[in-house]
Amino acid sequence: MDNSILHVYEDEIQSLEEEIELLAEKYEESQQESTFFSDEEILMSIKSFQREFQGESKGREPLSDLKVQLESLQTDLSFLMKFTGIQFTSHSKKTVEKNRNRTVQMHRLSGNCHSLSFQLEFQLLEMQNKENVTAVITDLSIIMESGEDSDVSKFVSSTEAHGNLSTFFRSLSCYAEWCEHRRCTFLHFK
Amino acid sequence: GVFAHLEMLEMRAHKAAVKREEMERQEEKLARLKARVEELRLQRDELRAKVDLQEKGQLGKEGVVSDPAQPSAQAVLEWKIKSLKAMLQIFYLTGISSKLTKRGVCFSISTAYEGTYLDSYHLDLLTQPEVRILRHSVPIFIPLEQIAKKYLQTDIRRFMSVLSDHLNAYVGRRYQADQLQEHFSAQIEGALQRNSLCNLLVFNYNVSSQSKTFLFNARLLYGDPCSILPTEVVISCTPDAPAALAETAGVHSDLFRRVALHKAFRSVCSAEESVA
Repeated sequence: MDNSILHVYEDEIQSLEEEIELLAEKYEESQQESTFFSDEEILMSIKSFQREFQGESKGREPLSDLKVQLESLQTDLSFLMKFTGIQFTSHSKKTVEKNRNRTVQMHRLSGNCHSLSFQLEFQLLEMQNKENVTAVITDLSIIMESGEDSDVSKFVSSTEAHGNLSTFFRSLSCYAEWCEHRRCTFLHFK
Repeated sequence: GVFAHLEMLEMRAHKAAVKREEMERQEEKLARLKARVEELRLQRDELRAKVDLQEKGQLGKEGVVSDPAQPSAQAVLEWKIKSLKAMLQIFYLTGISSKLTKRGVCFSISTAYEGTYLDSYHLDLLTQPEVRILRHSVPIFIPLEQIAKKYLQTDIRRFMSVLSDHLNAYVGRRYQADQLQEHFSAQIEGALQRNSLCNLLVFNYNVSSQSKTFLFNARLLYGDPCSILPTEVVISCTPDAPAALAETAGVHSDLFRRVALHKAFRSVCSAEESVA
């Protein structure tokens, strides 16, 4: 029996499965990105949920689960943003490549840290190896509101050159806090 | 005799039967795989068509569009959940992530060297009656207790920031040493010696001068636990090395103090190449 034919089929199966996973991800993402519901619409949906399924206890578990899940995620995110001072206002991602141990995504992320706002674009490569996941940032592009400040623009270019996203956020927090302190100090002396 | 002959015939028949079964099994397997390939190809083609349609549909449409058909409350909530999950998922890129727990909060500190995110460390904190560390995955050579004693009760943000500085610096030093071992093993003689905290590195490397190679010994001490650059660099050459090499040692020493180890070594090697 020809084992090589077997291998050819098995390889094709693996490649098709990976392609399907990537396409499914792309489809999901596209659906998600092209939809938008405002906070009011979200609230209305929660209310209509509760109205519809007021009396029923059986078979409605999944729906109250959704509400619980939503609230838990909102509290987690809200705490994290408050703790770090970093607020993300919008985020979109696009999967460009996906297979067994590698995922490549393009991200667009906007937000602010106290009063400093930023817009980021980057490519994120995540690789699964034996024990853990490594992530690498490339093609980092940073736009900051206070970009005219020469210190800020020097910092931004150096950060972009090395894909130093982690340092960007850590420094941003410090810098933003310092700006706040300075502002408060000036106000105090007015 | 007859019996022996019969036995032989039986064995032959048995072997033939086994072979036939084996062939049938192989054929079945092949047929199954073939069918699976067809099935997957179909699935893939359908998905491709769907995705293409999506992409065409979005050409020329500016801004975001809500689903024209009235979406169910469930679909709305599922959309929001997905959106929040995605945002929480990438928060680790900022260096910190968290999840609220019944009795407090579980923090995750992510470390990075330039654009490469490396290890994450977790801290499970209790917040009542006072902030305490329940569990953590911080390595023992990081002075967690000291840092906690100083900041945990009074300024938890500062605590996280200082701890993060220690962890990032440790991982950054380790990364540099790993990169050196990985990319410059040819120039390094013997093993690169390092301690757990990666703040003391000792290694020997080859330097060529006038078609002879000399062994240099490098000793790097990182006195600041929050820094990825050494505070003290000692480069020494073997006694038989020419005087000119002492100058080279000085140049290297200065370089290693200012530039990340693996990058500094890269310039050392390319300088060698241009001289040779």
